[in-house]
Amino acid sequence: MLELKEVMDNKILADKRFGNTGLSLISVKSEEEIADVLRSANEKGKTVSIVSGGTKRGYGGLKEEYDVVLSLAEYRGIVEHTVGDMTVTVRPGTTIAELQNFLRKHDQMVSLDPSWPEQATIGGVIAANESGPKRLKYGSARDLVIGLRVVYPDGSVIRTGGKVVKNVAGYDMNKLFIGAMGTLGAISEITLKLRPVPKDESLVLLSVKEEHVDELKTFAIKVQDSMVEPVTLELVNPTLSKQLWDREAYTLLMGFEDVPNAVQYQEEWVRAQKPKEAVMDVLPANEAMDFWNRFANIAPNSLTDNSENGEVKANLKIGSKNMQVMDVLKEADRFQRQYGVTLAAHGGLGHGLTNAYLTGSEDQIKAVVRELRDFVESKQGYAVLKHLPFYLREELNVWGKGQSYHFLFEGIKRKVDPNNSLNHQRFVGGI
Amino acid sequence: MLFAKKKKKIDGDKHYVSLANIVGETAILYKKEDLVSYDCDGFTIHKSMPKAVVFPKSTEEVAAAVKYCAENKIPFLARGAGTGLSGGAIPLNGEVIISLAKMKQLLSVDFENRQAVVQPGFVNLKLTNSIANKGYYYAPDPSSQYVCTIGGNVAENAGGAHCLKYGVTTNHILGLEVVLSNGEIIEISENGIPDAPGYDLLGLLTGSEGTLGIVTKITVRILKNPEGKQTVLAYFDKAEDGSHAVSDIISAGIVPAALEMMDKTAIEGVEAGTYPVGHPRDIEALLLIEVDGVAAGIDEQIEEILKVCKQRNVREVKVAESEEERGKWWANRKTGFGAMGAISPDYLVQDGVIPRSRLPKVLQNISEISKESGLRIANIFHAGDGNLHPLILFDSRIPGETEKAVKAGTACLKACADVGGSITGEHGVGIEKIEEMRFIFTDEELEAQTKIREVFNPENLLNKGKLFPTPSRCMDVKKVIKEAAAN
Repeated sequence: MLELKEVMDNKILADKRFGNTGLSLISVKSEEEIADVLRSANEKGKTVSIVSGGTKRGYGGLKEEYDVVLSLAEYRGIVEHTVGDMTVTVRPGTTIAELQNFLRKHDQMVSLDPSWPEQATIGGVIAANESGPKRLKYGSARDLVIGLRVVYPDGSVIRTGGKVVKNVAGYDMNKLFIGAMGTLGAISEITLKLRPVPKDESLVLLSVKEEHVDELKTFAIKVQDSMVEPVTLELVNPTLSKQLWDREAYTLLMGFEDVPNAVQYQEEWVRAQKPKEAVMDVLPANEAMDFWNRFANIAPNSLTDNSENGEVKANLKIGSKNMQVMDVLKEADRFQRQYGVTLAAHGGLGHGLTNAYLTGSEDQIKAVVRELRDFVESKQGYAVLKHLPFYLREELNVWGKGQSYHFLFEGIKRKVDPNNSLNHQRFVGGI
Repeated sequence: MLFAKKKKKIDGDKHYVSLANIVGETAILYKKEDLVSYDCDGFTIHKSMPKAVVFPKSTEEVAAAVKYCAENKIPFLARGAGTGLSGGAIPLNGEVIISLAKMKQLLSVDFENRQAVVQPGFVNLKLTNSIANKGYYYAPDPSSQYVCTIGGNVAENAGGAHCLKYGVTTNHILGLEVVLSNGEIIEISENGIPDAPGYDLLGLLTGSEGTLGIVTKITVRILKNPEGKQTVLAYFDKAEDGSHAVSDIISAGIVPAALEMMDKTAIEGVEAGTYPVGHPRDIEALLLIEVDGVAAGIDEQIEEILKVCKQRNVREVKVAESEEERGKWWANRKTGFGAMGAISPDYLVQDGVIPRSRLPKVLQNISEISKESGLRIANIFHAGDGNLHPLILFDSRIPGETEKAVKAGTACLKACADVGGSITGEHGVGIEKIEEMRFIFTDEELEAQTKIREVFNPENLLNKGKLFPTPSRCMDVKKVIKEAAAN
């Protein structure tokens, strides 16, 4: 094994609240080093946890401590940006902000808007399949990743996909590693397809009082049936709307990104068609960007969660049918009142994902998580805990009830990581 | 062709009787004369007979037939419309073919949640036709969309002319019901809800060319028709100018819905075909460019495209003046492969992908391959996403020429692989490109994929011999192709 510097006195190792820590931390600066660490651990029967920006240590994982924490945070930077091909190849430790700022100089972007762009790294975002409200128009990681290099637990390096935007040679192996929570390999390089930065953008906010919230659903259906092409149709509950915008009301966020004429035309369409009860505000490009930056920092994460005195923070990601998001938000508000927690939430009426950010006592959090999960599971949806202190994770079952075909997940894990050396128990069903 | 309804005895193999018990006596073919039309798919260079063809009418019948095959160690594979161009549905091992042609219902449409549920035998274009009255459509549009099935599209991860902006099949699949290779039925993301916890099996199964399971129900995303659509046709004296215009349009920040290119030989073909539009014969390249979206934003983008074309020395550029004209241009393009039949007795379609910026170099390489082989090569392709379709024109009646065409096709794929591209963008590997997989993957990377196959298809009874080279297998297939070529 390489003479790698093992750090014993590190913030990541010292902070045990979210688990996924280790006896030592090795920070690598090359793919060879990743391979050496994984190979050596695998051969010696040691367990490895992977970390990069450190925002997701509260996301899954039933082990407080692994033998080694492998940090990819220093393996960063752009490998290749082919402007004419609109593709970029990047190392996993690169933060989202660093990547976007680099691309912006060429009027290009990765059309992904995950939380905490300043801290979260592209490797972590891909491994956890993170996305934001704009996935309505631009899709999620699975639509943008065209190639990966992955270091397998035995130290071998596998390329999946390629550097072309269309490719059906062999299995679409990229998909296996996106959202796999690092249980199948350490992603050492990522190739993404890019989009041009839109020539103009704006954000339309439609706010209604609670009793008129159904009007927003009717309106959202009308929007979908119309020629309007919003990049977001994100509904925000009053608690979150107050935090973001100082307006305690259900607020529908409709982003428009297009050439200026088209942006303006769509704003006017909304003005003419909106429910009469709704108050409409329009944020021009600069303000819209500021708003989305604020929005990207509202979720609790393991770097910023400083809860004490028995207070607990949690992030529940809920999947439902698109329009059921409205019902999920309403139920969430009911539980907020019933149990006295603080619950800020938003969900995409066009993509079916809701995030609820909860703050309260341990008992309150447990009760609301169970209630909300029961509700969405009764509608064939799911609820996953994206952020939760370690001590509650087993009891609350981070990943929910699981799938009838879980044996296939186990089979895949067994083929790739037979010794369970990588991020063991981090993922669904204790994989 | 099918059996008469009345009671009759099924001769021969006991397996015929057992399978007939599962799907019904009128839903099985097993006589040689009935099986002949199932000896190949759209890849006609290799032919091989199945053991039988069954036509289940339900998921349960598919599962029962699969279970029977698995228990009796009979190789089997699924087939849709049989339009695949890489031989994915060709029985190499005397398979029982499970045809999904009778499972062709549109099960439900949910406009509010923008999804539709179809059976695998449902024809691609029929979905768009069924929802067009509400202004919706299904985005993936392979050229064969009027006949190919959505089940087949899932197996091949089919593309089409409009995937530059809207993505390929995998970007539109929300849920799958799958019969595994032992006959077990699973439902992945039954309600089309995204990000189901667990590994992304939807993504893995889509494009697995029928080697990981048989899809029996599909939930797809449906989209609203864009308000505005404008199509531009541009003629270039020099192919290089056309290639540069492609890059310039993309660099200008425009995301066209489609950006297609044809070269001189291709133009000769389409003009001799069923849908000529009067393209000049002496140009080296034409571009067909489509922009769609909010109507208020279209003109600005069209202006920009016209400007780029002029900067790149376009001879003539025009915007479609009516839906009829637009339709004509597209019919001319979409029937392009078949039109080659008008200028050549036979043609072989290839399907490579390159980084867009390498277009001029690769076109040059293909032209050299053409010269070396002495065969004409026409290029019709999705230039926007770098997906090339060299069409190698040959005459199978001339001894050795088929072999030469196959060789030239391989050389074209090598040229794509050499610039960091791929050997297939939408047609799949099937049996056609098994050996070419080595152009882009190491043995280790191929093994990583076959290990995944072992999870789903441990006995390798399901569509055996496809996709991956093994030392013996690929030599066999190549030998067969070469023999076929020699005959």
